Amino acid sequence: MWEYLSSLAGELPYILQGSLTTLLVVFFALGLGLIFGLPLALGQIYGPLALNRLVRIYVWFFRGTPILVLLYLFYFGLFIALNLDVSAFASSCIVLGLTSAAYQSQIFRGALESLPHGQLKAARALGMSDTEGIRHIILPQALRLSIPGWSNEYSILLKDSALVHVLGVPELMARSHYVASRTTWHFTYYILAGILYLIITVLGLRLLRSLETKTRLPGYAALSHE
Amino acid sequence: MCKRILLALLALGLFAAPALAAQKGYINGIDANYPPHAYVEAGQPTGFDVEALNWIAKKMNFEIKHVPMDWDTIVASLLAKKIDMVCSGMSITPERQARVNFSDPYFVVRKVLVVRDNSDLTRNQVLQGNKKVGVQRGTNEAETLENSKGPNGWNYTLTYYDSAPLAVEDLINGRVDAAAMDSAPANDAIKRGKKPVRIVGEFADPDDFGVAIRKEDAELLKMINEGFKLLTQDPFWQELQEKYDSFQ
Repeated sequence: MWEYLSSLAGELPYILQGSLTTLLVVFFALGLGLIFGLPLALGQIYGPLALNRLVRIYVWFFRGTPILVLLYLFYFGLFIALNLDVSAFASSCIVLGLTSAAYQSQIFRGALESLPHGQLKAARALGMSDTEGIRHIILPQALRLSIPGWSNEYSILLKDSALVHVLGVPELMARSHYVASRTTWHFTYYILAGILYLIITVLGLRLLRSLETKTRLPGYAALSHE
Repeated sequence: MCKRILLALLALGLFAAPALAAQKGYINGIDANYPPHAYVEAGQPTGFDVEALNWIAKKMNFEIKHVPMDWDTIVASLLAKKIDMVCSGMSITPERQARVNFSDPYFVVRKVLVVRDNSDLTRNQVLQGNKKVGVQRGTNEAETLENSKGPNGWNYTLTYYDSAPLAVEDLINGRVDAAAMDSAPANDAIKRGKKPVRIVGEFADPDDFGVAIRKEDAELLKMINEGFKLLTQDPFWQELQEKYDSFQ
């Protein structure tokens, strides 16, 4: 028992560092997904037909291809063919980010489409251009409405991030696996990994919920449910 | 503003990571799930092969960094120049030799079958008795077992695992009747891991371990070969074998 606990204590810092890598991967992937996902959604709804088609193809491709396939494809295929020296960490962030962009674009699209169409017309009547209308009237509402769906995306992405161990990124899953292989206490270390993932999920969701509460407009939420 | 910060952070993360990796010296890709040849202890890569290479690096005066990689794609990583060599219990096989060069063999490893302690299965019963055999995917052992079914008249169902220790674990769980692996991880599981398993016999000719190096890196190959020549003449070689309890 003592040997067991001291092993656990000894390995904990190493595995916790892996949690940090996991968090970084999720952070960059979510960020990349946001930066690409929002324009994708706007393009799909307000852009010309050709753009709408392109976005649909993008979403179809990234939603339809397993992340594992994309990881191998980008890291060992695309980046090598383009002669780009992209690290395993960066490749992971890019693949998860591009995949997340596809999903996030659909979250934003849902939120954008849930708003009454008359709003943009009203903005035009007030003398705003479409860009101004979208920026000042539509987006502030849509982004707020997107937070619950976005929270969901966070927890999905966090779990998907366990896949990047196949590229040798020393994240939580990879490190737990290495330690389990050496100590042969597979069960213990996978439970530990599970608990850590759970903690990160809960903490992240709590953060996002507080963001949801903080950005809530008084009386607005009630109105939108009518 | 918020977005700009995010963008800056993103750019930093994506470009800083390759910069950090581009240190001087060589990178050795290891399978950190392959004790005692390569594993991670207290956050540091170590093991028989890691220590041997460290000794050589010191003797031959180059920097070496060991990076845990996924075994399935480790040759692809080598060819993609993500790493410079694989010194991590890699068997020299004709398929691999078609794509990369190997150093002179530095270790002989037996191909063994492992069963539960309380099982009275023999080697032949495992191979001919329609049993379930666990093996690490992407390894030479897996390939040997796949290919020698017909020619040898053997009869078993293979179950694939991510690592040899996981195959041992599932053997104890009872999901497979036997596990096939190199003698090194098998001995490690029995002696260090104190797992209730035993070796019943061999299923193929012994393999040689060599260091895999890209074909164009002839200089590096020469240096590694010289390094191992020096190492095997040094008392440290004996010490290493005793330490890791894996005599040839």
